[in-house]
Amino acid sequence: MATATATTSRLAVLAPRPGPGRRRPAPSPSSSPLRARGVSAACSRGRVLCLAAPAPAPASSTDAGQDRLQKVPISNIRNFSIIAHIDHGKSTLADKLLELTGTVQKREMKEQFLDNMDLERERGITIKLQAARMRYVKDNEPYCLNLIDTPGHVDFSYEVSRSLAACEGALLVVDASQGVEAQTLANVYLALENDLEIIPVLNKIDLPGAEPDRVAKEIEEIIGLDCSDAIRCSAKEGIGITEILDAIVTKVPPPKDTAKDPLRALIFDSYYDPYRGVIVYFRVVDGTIKKGDKIRFMASEKEYVADEIGVLSPTQMQVNELYAGEVGYLSASIRSVADARVGDTITHFSKRADCPLPGYSEATPMVFCGLFPIDADQFEELREALEKLQLNDAALKFEPESSSAMGFGFRCGFLGLLHMEIVQERLEREYSLSLIITAPSVVYHVNCANGETVECSNPSLLPEPGVRKSIEEPYVKIEMLTPKDYIGPIMELGQDRRGDFKEMNFITENRAKIVYELPLAEMVGDFFDQLKSRSKGYASMEYKLVGYRESPLVKLDIQINGDAVEALSTIVHRDRAYSVGRALTKKLKELIPRQMFKVPIQACIGTKVIASEALSAIRKDVLSKCYGGDITRKKKLLKKQAEGKKRMKAIGRVDVPQEAFMAVLKLEKEVL
Amino acid sequence: PLPIKSEPTRPAPRSRFRNAAIGLPARLPSPTKETAPNPPTPTTCSPICCLAAAAPHPPVPPPAPPPLPPASAYVHLPFCRKRCHYCDFPIVALGSSSPRGEDPRITDYVRLLLREVAATRPVSDDGGAPLETVFFGGGTPSLVPPRLVAAVLDALRARLRELVGAGVNRVSLGVQAFQEDLLRACGRAHGLEEVHEAVGIVTACEGLQNWSMDLISSLPNQTEEMWEESLRCTVDARPTHVSVYDLQIEQGTKFGQLYTPGVHPLPSDTESANFYKIASKRLSEAGYHHYEISSYCKPGYECKHNVTYWQNRSFYAFGLGSASYINGVRFSRPRRMKEYAEWVQNLEDGTWSHESGNSDTKEMAMDVVMLSLRTAWGLDLRSFSKSFGKSLSLSLCNTFKPFVESGLVVAMDVQQQALSPSDFELDLQSEFDFGSRAAFIRLSDPDGFLLSNELISLAFGIISP
Repeated sequence: MATATATTSRLAVLAPRPGPGRRRPAPSPSSSPLRARGVSAACSRGRVLCLAAPAPAPASSTDAGQDRLQKVPISNIRNFSIIAHIDHGKSTLADKLLELTGTVQKREMKEQFLDNMDLERERGITIKLQAARMRYVKDNEPYCLNLIDTPGHVDFSYEVSRSLAACEGALLVVDASQGVEAQTLANVYLALENDLEIIPVLNKIDLPGAEPDRVAKEIEEIIGLDCSDAIRCSAKEGIGITEILDAIVTKVPPPKDTAKDPLRALIFDSYYDPYRGVIVYFRVVDGTIKKGDKIRFMASEKEYVADEIGVLSPTQMQVNELYAGEVGYLSASIRSVADARVGDTITHFSKRADCPLPGYSEATPMVFCGLFPIDADQFEELREALEKLQLNDAALKFEPESSSAMGFGFRCGFLGLLHMEIVQERLEREYSLSLIITAPSVVYHVNCANGETVECSNPSLLPEPGVRKSIEEPYVKIEMLTPKDYIGPIMELGQDRRGDFKEMNFITENRAKIVYELPLAEMVGDFFDQLKSRSKGYASMEYKLVGYRESPLVKLDIQINGDAVEALSTIVHRDRAYSVGRALTKKLKELIPRQMFKVPIQACIGTKVIASEALSAIRKDVLSKCYGGDITRKKKLLKKQAEGKKRMKAIGRVDVPQEAFMAVLKLEKEVL
Repeated sequence: PLPIKSEPTRPAPRSRFRNAAIGLPARLPSPTKETAPNPPTPTTCSPICCLAAAAPHPPVPPPAPPPLPPASAYVHLPFCRKRCHYCDFPIVALGSSSPRGEDPRITDYVRLLLREVAATRPVSDDGGAPLETVFFGGGTPSLVPPRLVAAVLDALRARLRELVGAGVNRVSLGVQAFQEDLLRACGRAHGLEEVHEAVGIVTACEGLQNWSMDLISSLPNQTEEMWEESLRCTVDARPTHVSVYDLQIEQGTKFGQLYTPGVHPLPSDTESANFYKIASKRLSEAGYHHYEISSYCKPGYECKHNVTYWQNRSFYAFGLGSASYINGVRFSRPRRMKEYAEWVQNLEDGTWSHESGNSDTKEMAMDVVMLSLRTAWGLDLRSFSKSFGKSLSLSLCNTFKPFVESGLVVAMDVQQQALSPSDFELDLQSEFDFGSRAAFIRLSDPDGFLLSNELISLAFGIISP
């Protein structure tokens, strides 16, 4: 489960919060506990208290799920995750697993589709679940099964890899009528890299369109996974669930028994709780952790006392200790998730492990944009909101930025586009901020004449042409899976976006995989939307960074009445500069109201004007009659006009409405 | 060279119109078809405005908060034969068949009006200034029988103190255009023939040398030639005053449904601005002074009543939808007859009274700016500084500085002579120097006037940031 960031997205919708931004009532604590971590975390403490000290009980029991806090030998622990494309049935399957193991009573279960987060749905991300500890008895032997979920979006592939690193096995769930999708594929490869045992599951076999044989063949061909004993199930109908549980027990290897070693626990998720500080989710890899232990985070080098430890089942339940192989949470009055980052290793303060677990890395923002409050008075509110989000999102970076056109705001860095959208949306929905968002930019490497290399993510700060020798931009390798009918339009898209075609092959008779390498800058706009629209929604994609390459890039400036508007500066490929310049100047001409004088609007590279429009002066704006001394109506009009001017930003002597900036920024996102 | 002269001397009232209200649409839309005031003349396009009053008022402005007691009254006579296609005023369309005798709708309304006058408390009992101007607007005031107009004047005299030499001494004719087609397209109740008749009647009227003609520019399908023709005919008729209104398309009017501003058959903004410039040029050549955005006059014939508005002085108002400005408070009466009648009842019962003026300084400053910048004498900087502070005055001037350079705004000395932009700039160097040369700023004619909304709203932004 989790990345701090993706988690935040779920909380954005589910967590109860005051104010008009709220979209729907928060689910009651008992509904679908798996998907409502924010809620369950806040509501579960009462239950935690009464369940905190589990009494030892005999292993055999008809309601096995209810003694899930009991310890089992490490050889009976199974840690696994579920990899699935959105809508392929992950949530339903997880619910069924919980129900069948008695972890959640049937009457507590709710229909699962009700709380999928809109944003995730729109963006094609799989829903993230809670980690859950289940008890399952097979052949009279009790097993402890820990489900650890992963976010499904590439922006969070680091978090995904840490979640997978906390498991020994994974269920690969594929919709038997749809087939493998690109994101699923990427996560399967991550799982294979982590040496996970993968159990293929063909879901939705009850549907009339299900073709389990075809899909099984597809999995074999694409992934090279033996599907001869793939489990055929229908999570919705409850078909095949026991088989899945049995397969987890028999196929997923148990954790290594290293309980005697110095403590090493892998953080796979953390989130900020306003009352308790950061809650850290971890998998004990080596050693044992007890309540009250003094612990140390090896990467952040912070030390705390573990005030509370427990398991997730699926609500938080306190326990006294957790050993190697077990999965749980802790709280230790940690102030920010940046101090307990995903991938960090927890060890004991007094008996430190020699080296941390492998795989930790700092978050590296890949996409940047400027965020400015529309109402300048909201600058402080924006700062506070970003600080609050950062408590829960270690990958979010920001620093103040000011621009003559936009006033004061922040330059923010994100893991990717989805992360950016989530943050923007939360700021607007939860903090009621109205924002102007500049076109996203990537990080360029500028090689200067003096041999230095400068990183630049803000077009207006690009070193002058005389100083720079060349510009390198990040490239991504993008894999798109599509039904064969859409190969043409998708390849056109790839070519349009300065893509290098790498390969195409048919993964089945009807579906093809197309691989391009193209500049990340070409992806940060509407690439995903375009892919979806050109394939009628059928294509899926996955990308990963493949490094920096030199490109003939130029900085395109916009000048209004001779004054440069930094916020509208962009870095574009030389061959695109002309058309982009034309589109921007044309749009500005439409949107800037005419002034009392003629206003030239120009797009320039350096001092060279490459596109130009002119806004003619207003001819007349006069109300000719003041009738019968009734000036109120006229005054109202004039006041409204004055108000309108106030909402505009002055670029030199020209009043430019906020909407003009927004529309141009939107256009930049489209044309860049 | 005072910008405004008092009206030509009195004894105006010995006219045929005496005591008559001449229906005169004071606003843009005024229709006018009317039976001539007195005798037998058939219908005239009766134009309209009548000013009964006298007493010269002081020439130059100084706008004066706190307001003096009103010396002017506006009376709304809302009757028309029919509604013109551009009109959104509170009027009552009577239809073309006039009933025998007096129309009960008119007599009932005048009764209501008299009740309002009677229930209105004069601003000062000690007798502030007597009424100097009374303006009947409409509607078509001349549709109201003279007997009833006289009754209104009598009531005003009784209630609001002596009104010197009451009688009608100014009339305006709502001609609007000199092209039959255009008149028809506007839904006017008169044709070209009636226009000529009415002009004949008015000019033949002994003692009524002060009359105005209203024109509308930017009508649908109006061409530059037509506009030149209208202006020529207007000059030939030799009115002492001309009002030129630029057509405004109002929502809820027939024109509002039919046309979009700037789109054919309405002229483009450029054409329409051109009409405005042509009017300014032709009328100035003919000896008219462009003393307000839409008003021109022969020397000394400014519309005294309207000048009180532009000087931000107080005034009474009576009748449907009319707006008064008393004790610093602006109030508009209900625009629907039923609600107006209820309001008069409340006034009589004492359940409604004018708030006492306590108005916001910023609002006052905005009023002064928006009204004075409509005029040729402009904003009096010294008086404005005195009322609202030198620094606000200075900020306004700084805001207008680039427009003084570009010629949309003119700075003037105390003699109302234009200052060069560089002299004006010198004045703005410090608060100390400020006002040593510049005494007024005005909008230029015609370019500044044409952009008055832009320029005035800029000033609003300074007054209320």
